[in-house]
Amino acid sequence: MESGSAKRLSGIKHILRVASHALANTIALLAFSLPAYSATVAISNERSGNLVFMDDNGKNQELVPICNRPRGMAQNKANNSLYIACSDDAKVVEFDLTKRQIIRTYQDVPGAMYLVFHTASERLIVSNEGASKATVIDVRSGNILAYLATGLEPDGIALTDDGNLIFIASENAGLVHVFDGTDYSAIDIIITNLRPRRLSIRNTELWVSSEMGSRVEIFDTNSFEKIDEIIFAPRGFRSEQLTPVDILFNQTGDTAFVALGSANHVVIIDAAKREILKYILVGRRPWGLALTPDDKQLFVLNGLSDDVTLIDVQKMRPLKTSRTGLVPHSVEVFD
Amino acid sequence: MKLHKLILLACCFLSAPAVSNDFDITIITSSSEDRKNSGKSFAGITVKPDRPVLRAVELAVYESSTLFKTLGINANIHQLTLDAERNLDDQLKELIPSSLLILDLPLDTMEQVAQITNKLKLIAFNVRHSDAQLRDTLCLTHVFHTIPSDQMYFDALGQFLVYRGWRKVLVIQGPSEKDTERAKTLLVSLKKFGATVVDQRIFSLSHHPDDRDENKPEFITGGISYDVVAVIDSQKDYGRYLQYSTRSARPVVGDVGLTPASWHFSLERYGAPQLNERYRTFKTGEPLSSQISMTDAEFAAWSAIKLISNSINSRQKGDDLNLLAVLQDPASQVDLYKGTRGSIRHWNNQLRQPILLSTPDAVIAIAPMPKFLHPKHYVDTLGIDEPESQCQLR
Repeated sequence: MESGSAKRLSGIKHILRVASHALANTIALLAFSLPAYSATVAISNERSGNLVFMDDNGKNQELVPICNRPRGMAQNKANNSLYIACSDDAKVVEFDLTKRQIIRTYQDVPGAMYLVFHTASERLIVSNEGASKATVIDVRSGNILAYLATGLEPDGIALTDDGNLIFIASENAGLVHVFDGTDYSAIDIIITNLRPRRLSIRNTELWVSSEMGSRVEIFDTNSFEKIDEIIFAPRGFRSEQLTPVDILFNQTGDTAFVALGSANHVVIIDAAKREILKYILVGRRPWGLALTPDDKQLFVLNGLSDDVTLIDVQKMRPLKTSRTGLVPHSVEVFD
Repeated sequence: MKLHKLILLACCFLSAPAVSNDFDITIITSSSEDRKNSGKSFAGITVKPDRPVLRAVELAVYESSTLFKTLGINANIHQLTLDAERNLDDQLKELIPSSLLILDLPLDTMEQVAQITNKLKLIAFNVRHSDAQLRDTLCLTHVFHTIPSDQMYFDALGQFLVYRGWRKVLVIQGPSEKDTERAKTLLVSLKKFGATVVDQRIFSLSHHPDDRDENKPEFITGGISYDVVAVIDSQKDYGRYLQYSTRSARPVVGDVGLTPASWHFSLERYGAPQLNERYRTFKTGEPLSSQISMTDAEFAAWSAIKLISNSINSRQKGDDLNLLAVLQDPASQVDLYKGTRGSIRHWNNQLRQPILLSTPDAVIAIAPMPKFLHPKHYVDTLGIDEPESQCQLR
């Protein structure tokens, strides 16, 4: 009897042990599939005039009204803030990410479209879409340091790390204007393919997306000569349907991501070899891109379907698509 | 003009002194043309805007100015008004050699002028006439068409109807020869994409009760079943009174209602609002009001100049501007602000481009419609394709 009872008891213990093990596994699994709230995503929505915040699972969304037609955004990590171009209000605002409110406004920036922030020199460079120029602002004093004359419809801007060279693409003109980052003199004009949109620098390479030329052109940042170009061909699409916009590199610069617009795909590229690794189907007319700080997850804004696609960078697969505001333009991810 | 050139040169702030290269553009119009009568026969009201294309050409040059400066090109716009009393050959001999010509002329004069300028080896653009047969009859090396052909317009419409499932079409046309020709073109498009013409009827501009079967909307659209009414009314006379008066509650498309067009003030994507805004405001002394945008003829004239400036981006400073070589290059292209770049069809010198399907205040669709596929080129389901073209230039 006793032994039988002991056996029964040990049997129950065994069941409990197995159960608790399974529970622990389940908890571990849950923790794995739903990582702790690690990064926050901010998306500017052109038409609804707000920012949508979400976690890096696309959940826990919060809408914050901002201004008329918010478009380009850039982070100021020291201030834990975001600069936002308010296109139809002719201004740039600084938005505090902790307080979730606007803490500063820079007025008289007509047609503010795209912007970059140079951390070391605390300068903000904003393209003025309808005014064929860009504005350089000292964020501390609020003073305008320079106006840079561009071609028609200036959009993408890139700076060398040292801040010594400024590149600005003019969509209509099919040109990239090069300026001295110190005295703001015009250095050169690079002639590009049709409708240059966004610029991104990798070592001494300037990558330029040509939206209507359906390619990414690569120029040397010293000689300004063209080095190479990348042509896209996802299955089932013709060249004319490939309208690349945003270009993004990971932190090591070995991988590039390009949103292919009307082709509804984002492409992952081996940046050193300039080889296409994978086309990933996303929403309609993807353009804005951002990576999580650990480079593991890519966010792709789909301009015509008002949503954002989350992509697992290592597996090169889409995870899910979440709703945004109306006409999402830019996305920033922060810790 | 000399002074003008000097100023342009002085302002080129870039490195080496740019070699000057003149890019002369001449807009040819006719002194005898009466443009005011359009659409006035039936109701005395003009609805079809008809403006000279000068402003659109000026806009294209304005947009290209930074590039031209960079390449050392001086663009000059000239105008030649043809005197109907004088011999055409004599007048055209006065043209600036190597000038690019924008033919803003009535059809018969345009055809004569194009034949002459082709012999003079001057590049000329037809920016006004969509007549499908012109693409075959005016098959000339130096003549280009940037206005879509009626075949392109109607193929866009045909695709849209079939895409919507509106396959039974009642065609109503005007009595003019032009309307008859265009109706023929429409029928080709409808047949091509699988729509059925349930009847083809001709309206009368008369108000007489005896003609009521041809002039009363309820009668001319009665006695038959259809999904949609397609109207051919080139002069925009009568067709506009058909909407909301059809016997059956059916949409009206064609020259009224949902209309195929190459440009529209309400296109809101692909940078189009910026182009429309610029068109209205770039001439500071002469702003236009907010719903005015380029007509298809103006858009065609703008496209012609932009086709040149968008296709010379691989040139070196000081290279000769050989317009024919630029246009015949398979890589020639133009950003049309419609989401798909335009290019030249090598067989008949027609600019390939997407076609908008729009109501008076909204763009409803942009053709090619989904699922209409072409073996070679995305946009070549619209218009006269290479195998069926009688014109085989290259």
